[in-house]
Amino acid sequence: MLFNTTGFFLFLAVVLALFYASPRAWRKYILLVASYYFYASWNPKFIALLLALTAIDYTAGRWLEKVSAARARKAVLILSLTANLGFLGFFKYYNFLGRNLAWLMGRPENAFWMDIVLPLGISFHTFQSISYVVDVYRGQQKAVRNAIDYALFICFFPQLVAGPIVRARHFFGDLFDWHPPAADDVSRGLLLLTLGLTKKMALADQFAGIANGYFGSVAANPGMLTAWSGVFAFGLQIYFDFSGYTDMAIGMALLFGFHFPVNFRRPYLASSITDFWRRWHMSLSSWLRDYLYIPLGGNRGGRWRTYRNLMLTMLLGGLWHGASWNFAIWGGYQGALLSVERVFRGDRPVGEGRAWLYPAKAILTFGLALIGWVFFRAANLTESIAVLRQMFGGAPGHVLLAPWHWGLAAVSLAVALGEEKSEWLERLSKAPVLAYASGLAAMFFFLEMFGAFDAAIPFIYFQF
Amino acid sequence: MRCGVVCLFAVLGLFGLDALLFRTPLYPSYLEPDSSTGLFELILRREQAAQAANGDNLVATLGNSRFAYAPRLSNEVTFRTGYVFRSAGVAGSDVRTWYYMLRDLDPTAQRYRAIVFGVDDFDDEDVAFNPDDDIRSLHYVIARLRWGDALEFARSFKSRQYQWEALRGALLKGLIYQADFRAFLSDPLKRIQYVQLSHRGYEIWTYDYVETNKSLAGLEIDWSAWSAKFPPGLDQEQSDSVRIYVMRKSAPQTGRLAAYRRLWFGRILDLYRRSRTRIVFVRLPRGPIPRPDNLVRKLSGSIRELASQPNVLLCDEHAFDSLERPELFKDALHLNRDGIARFSPMLAEKVGSMLGATAER
Repeated sequence: MLFNTTGFFLFLAVVLALFYASPRAWRKYILLVASYYFYASWNPKFIALLLALTAIDYTAGRWLEKVSAARARKAVLILSLTANLGFLGFFKYYNFLGRNLAWLMGRPENAFWMDIVLPLGISFHTFQSISYVVDVYRGQQKAVRNAIDYALFICFFPQLVAGPIVRARHFFGDLFDWHPPAADDVSRGLLLLTLGLTKKMALADQFAGIANGYFGSVAANPGMLTAWSGVFAFGLQIYFDFSGYTDMAIGMALLFGFHFPVNFRRPYLASSITDFWRRWHMSLSSWLRDYLYIPLGGNRGGRWRTYRNLMLTMLLGGLWHGASWNFAIWGGYQGALLSVERVFRGDRPVGEGRAWLYPAKAILTFGLALIGWVFFRAANLTESIAVLRQMFGGAPGHVLLAPWHWGLAAVSLAVALGEEKSEWLERLSKAPVLAYASGLAAMFFFLEMFGAFDAAIPFIYFQF
Repeated sequence: MRCGVVCLFAVLGLFGLDALLFRTPLYPSYLEPDSSTGLFELILRREQAAQAANGDNLVATLGNSRFAYAPRLSNEVTFRTGYVFRSAGVAGSDVRTWYYMLRDLDPTAQRYRAIVFGVDDFDDEDVAFNPDDDIRSLHYVIARLRWGDALEFARSFKSRQYQWEALRGALLKGLIYQADFRAFLSDPLKRIQYVQLSHRGYEIWTYDYVETNKSLAGLEIDWSAWSAKFPPGLDQEQSDSVRIYVMRKSAPQTGRLAAYRRLWFGRILDLYRRSRTRIVFVRLPRGPIPRPDNLVRKLSGSIRELASQPNVLLCDEHAFDSLERPELFKDALHLNRDGIARFSPMLAEKVGSMLGATAER
């Protein structure tokens, strides 16, 4: 059940109606059943896995609170982490490791191959589970007493499949102190739902046509402009696809009275790679910071340790996306850029500098991000190199985007710049009825004219 | 409460914007002339202009590309028939689209002496392709659909998927105009210039159009062995068309075509119920070599049933049998230049004689 289908909106309408028509005590059960139904609509077999991980981490949390001996607590933590990472490792990385092992041993590529289907959203709910158990271990979070509450935290359908990665304290804060959403929250929820759908169907899916066409046959599309425009299209596709999904998830959660963290803040307006990662997939960035970078030592052990920690964090962040060398290289590339930037920036705060240099910095950052997307999108390393060769040494080629694609990109840039200056989208949801309705109507119309309605294209991050 | 009002206004705003652009002539005047909708609108516009330029003896013909005749050649015998023929047919169209064409082309149902429909057969033979689920209709007639048509038009499709597509398209026309609109935005000036050129030249381009002289001369079919012998020099497209359309296997007879024809021809006859306009049905030359009649036992002949109505005339089914020869067809479906040259005056004479002298009416 994709968010961009009629079936999903019917499902959402039914769940909202049931939720608000039921006595308050029933509501979390309704959300839980709806969430499991939502997950089962993809592949009911993996409900068992979800339940198993939920049971393990719920129990781990309870134990961590009961046990006081440091060694026992550590053992519980390790058990929980092993279970979580074990499942993730098996489903996501087994074949990748098997292939590389076979290569090292000089055996056929499929010597250790197993036909494994990746459970939907496993990377997201595993990270969410880990953050809960670690927070309980650190004493930053109380263990949840009611298993239903914990199960809902893991499987709440707006964020189950592709985030944002919600921290336990935020979710349980809303759940335990639940009150009907304020009018402002409902307004904002509706706006985000519409905005997210528009981003996905009218922008991401339109740029997807070009990006898929290009990356589907790189050899048949030589040329520098061709390569840059294909990668540019993918850069816009992935941003609108993922941020559109996130906007919808946040909007839906608001309609149910839950507040999810912001996950994107106009990343392509970033003035540096550090700034980019503070704006892109923020719930993952902060997760990596809190549960990987800082435990590794962060920037506390001197320059070289900082660079090492940055590299390791981003490498693992890359591999979190997918089991391939391309993702590892993409992560390593980001880590290297962050490290190099750190060398030049020193201890100066991010974003400080001459204002007139900002456009050049933003363009450079965007260009560097685009180069990274080559590894993210290309099917393998050979194809990535072929694309990069064309980008930096190909014949002129031709631009793949039609003028109306440029129009879409220009409108998006104008909206983003306006939002950066005055957060007008945020203010729109609080505007008088007619102004707010006009804004929504304009979005609906934009969706009508540019939305890809012929086929529901899956969200990119559903594969992770 | 506030959100309910906002949603209501937003939806009204959406419909308002859609109506402003697509239910007024604002955008439809600049449709791509080579698109389905653009072509349909161009023909409608051309025929509306022809009504003003001609007298009271107009005969309009409606059909798809198989109804290939040259009005210029038919009108060369006007001095004998007394009628001026105009073709309002659109390639790929069918009776559902003809209904919407006529409703706007002849709103008073008084403008024509006769409307001539060219059909493949008076019997209802179901084939693999079901016209009731031909979503192209939506694209042809989108500019003609009114708010009140949405439900009925959508229900005329059989599959749920197309019903939904037709309903949402009929309510929010922008969904159908999407591709055209995006192409327009890519180069508005070029589009406007091309539309203006098409509006100026379309009458001459189509009225003086000369068909290719390619033919299937030498084609032989052995029905007992179900095999075709193609003459040398035939191109791939020609031989494929024979295999697909002439040598096709018969489909199960479901009655869908009959129901479809009854619905839409019935609605057309309703438009002309108390009109002086005669409705004439012509069986077109069936093909370069007709399929044997006994291949399928047809369940009904809905066109024949319609003939019982007072202003409906059926042309002799065999009137154009003499044209069913390979040398007069460019492929399995369409007459070639020679075929058209013979068919056009024959059609005019035949219809003219059925209608009687212009003064009689």
